[in-house]
Amino acid sequence: MQNPPITRQEDAAKPRRNRPFSLTARAWLFLTPSMLFLAVLIVASLLVLRMSVGTKGAEWSGFSLDSYAQLFEPYYLKSLLLTLRLALISAVIAVILAIPVGYTMARLKSPLVRRIFLAAVLLPLLVNLLLQSYGWLVILGPAGMLNQALKGLGLITRPIMMLYNQNGVLMGLVQTAFPLAVLPIASAMRGISRSYEEAASTLGASRFQVFRQVILPMSLPGIITGATLVFAYNASSFVVPLLLGGRRVPMLAVMVHDQIAPLMNWPAASAAGVVLIVTTLAIMTLSEFVTGRRRRMLEASQ
Amino acid sequence: MSRKLLRSQPLLPGETGRFAAILSGVILFLAVTPILTMIVMSFSGAANLDFPPSSYSLQWYRAAWQTFVSPDQSDVLSLGKAMTTSLMVACLTMIFATLIAVPASYALTRCEFRGKAFAMQLMSLPLVFPMVVLGLALLLVFDSLPFHLDTSRLVIAHVILALPFVIKNCTASMMTIGSEVEEAAQMLGASPTRAIVDVVVPLMKSGILAGMLLAFIVSFNEFTVTYFLYNIDVMTVPIWMYSRTVSSLDPTVFSFAVLIVLIDFVLIWALEKLVGEGGVSF
Repeated sequence: MQNPPITRQEDAAKPRRNRPFSLTARAWLFLTPSMLFLAVLIVASLLVLRMSVGTKGAEWSGFSLDSYAQLFEPYYLKSLLLTLRLALISAVIAVILAIPVGYTMARLKSPLVRRIFLAAVLLPLLVNLLLQSYGWLVILGPAGMLNQALKGLGLITRPIMMLYNQNGVLMGLVQTAFPLAVLPIASAMRGISRSYEEAASTLGASRFQVFRQVILPMSLPGIITGATLVFAYNASSFVVPLLLGGRRVPMLAVMVHDQIAPLMNWPAASAAGVVLIVTTLAIMTLSEFVTGRRRRMLEASQ
Repeated sequence: MSRKLLRSQPLLPGETGRFAAILSGVILFLAVTPILTMIVMSFSGAANLDFPPSSYSLQWYRAAWQTFVSPDQSDVLSLGKAMTTSLMVACLTMIFATLIAVPASYALTRCEFRGKAFAMQLMSLPLVFPMVVLGLALLLVFDSLPFHLDTSRLVIAHVILALPFVIKNCTASMMTIGSEVEEAAQMLGASPTRAIVDVVVPLMKSGILAGMLLAFIVSFNEFTVTYFLYNIDVMTVPIWMYSRTVSSLDPTVFSFAVLIVLIDFVLIWALEKLVGEGGVSF
C-alpha cells in the first residue's frame, strides 16, 4: 500500500500472464490429476452400464435386456417402490427436523455452543454407519431402550417389534442422513441478513410469522438442496437396511449386493445399479433446476 | 442492545428464539443417541443387550484388549492387521486427495476456462453417486485389470470418495485470498509456479488441513465401498468389525466402537477449530 506504482504496474502486467499456453490449457493441466481419479469413476459407471445389458455367463459379449425386464417382476418392483418411498419419507422428516436446527445454528452467537452443535451434526454424518446401526440395534431391540421407555410410560404392555421392519429402517435412515439436510439449510439461513427479520418484526410480524413468511421462503433453495441430498443418499443406502432391516426390508442397494455375493448375477446387479444412478441423477438435476430458478428469482427481487 | 429492545418490544428477533434453541438441542441429542447408547453399552456388566445395563464394568474393554494382544486362531485376520491397513489407507488417501485437490481447486477458483461448469459438476459427483454402485463398478474395473491390486484399490476408491470434501474446503479457503498477493509475488520476480507454492498454498493452510482431516475421517469410517472391494488379506477395521458381528452382536465390538468414535470426535473437534467461523464446507 505504501508503494502505489505497484498497483499500476499490475494492470500493465496483465497481458503478460497469457503466457506460452492458454489459460484453458493451464487450468485443465491443474485439473488433470483429479480428473484421472474421476475418470476411473466414469469408466466404472460405463462398465456397469455395459454389464447391465450382458447376459449371465457371457457378461461382456452377450446382449439382452433381460436384467431390466427382470426389474419389472413384482419382487423387484416392490423393492424399487419401497426404496423410493422410504427415501421420500425420510427426506421429508429429515428436512422438518433440520429446519429448526439449521435456524439455530445460523443464529447462534456463543462459539462454544456453536462448535458443540456442529460436532453433533457432523458425528452422525461421519462416524461409521455400521457403528451407528449397532447403536440402533440396542435402542430398537425387544428389550431395548425405546421399548423400556414406552413400557415405563405405560403406553405398551408387551414390547413392540421395531427391528427388521420398515419403521426401524426409517428411523435409521432419518438419523444418518439428517446432517445432509442441516448443512445446506444452515448455510442458506446464515446468508439471510438479519435486517429482513428486523424489518418484518418492526412492521408488526410475530416471531412465528417472521419465520414462516421471511426466513422459510428465503432459505427455500437450501431446503430443497437438503431434501434432495437426503433423498439421493437414502435411496442408495446400504448399511442401514442391511443391519436394521435384515432381509425383510429389501432396499435396492441391498439387492444389488445380494445379486453379487450369493447369486453371482452381475447383469442383474448392474441393472439395479443403473436404476439407482438414473434415479439419483434425475432427482439431482430436477433439484438443480428448481433451486436455480428460485435463486434467480430471489436475486432479482433483492 | 437487543435485551433492552426485547423488553419494550418482545417480538423483535435477532437472538435465536429460546423455543427453537431448545427444540434443536433435543433433535441433535436424538441424532447422536445411537452413538451415546453404544458408549454406555460398552461399560455394561451384563452379557445381553438390555438397556440400561443391569450393572457396569470394564469387562468388554478387557475382552477387547485380549482380542487385540492375543487374537484367536479362529479369526481370519487380527485386529492389529486391520488397524494397520485402515490407518495406512486413510493416510495415503489423505495425502493423495490433498495433492490432487490443491491444484484442482486453484484452477477452479482462479481460472476462467472453457468447461469450468462441467468440471465443477464432475468434482461433486462422488458425493451423490450411489455408493453401492461405486463399489460394484470399481470391483468390475479392478477385476478386469490384467494385474492385481491390493491396498491400492482401496486407496483409489477412498480418494474418489474424499475428493469432493477436500476440493470444497480448499476452494473455500482459496476464495478468501485475493489474487493480488499472487500478482504481487510475480511482480517481485517469482515465477507463477513459485507464487502458487510459496505464497498461495501457505495462505490456504487451514483449508488444506481441514480437507486433509476430512479425507482421513471419510476413509477411516468408510464401509460400503470397501465392503465390495476388500479381500481376505486387505481388510479395514469396519470390515473386520462387520465380519465379527455378522452372526450375533458381540459387545466387545462396542469397546472398539468407542475407540473409533473417540478418534472421530477428536478429529472433528480439530477440524472445527481449524475452519472456525464459516463452518466446514460441504
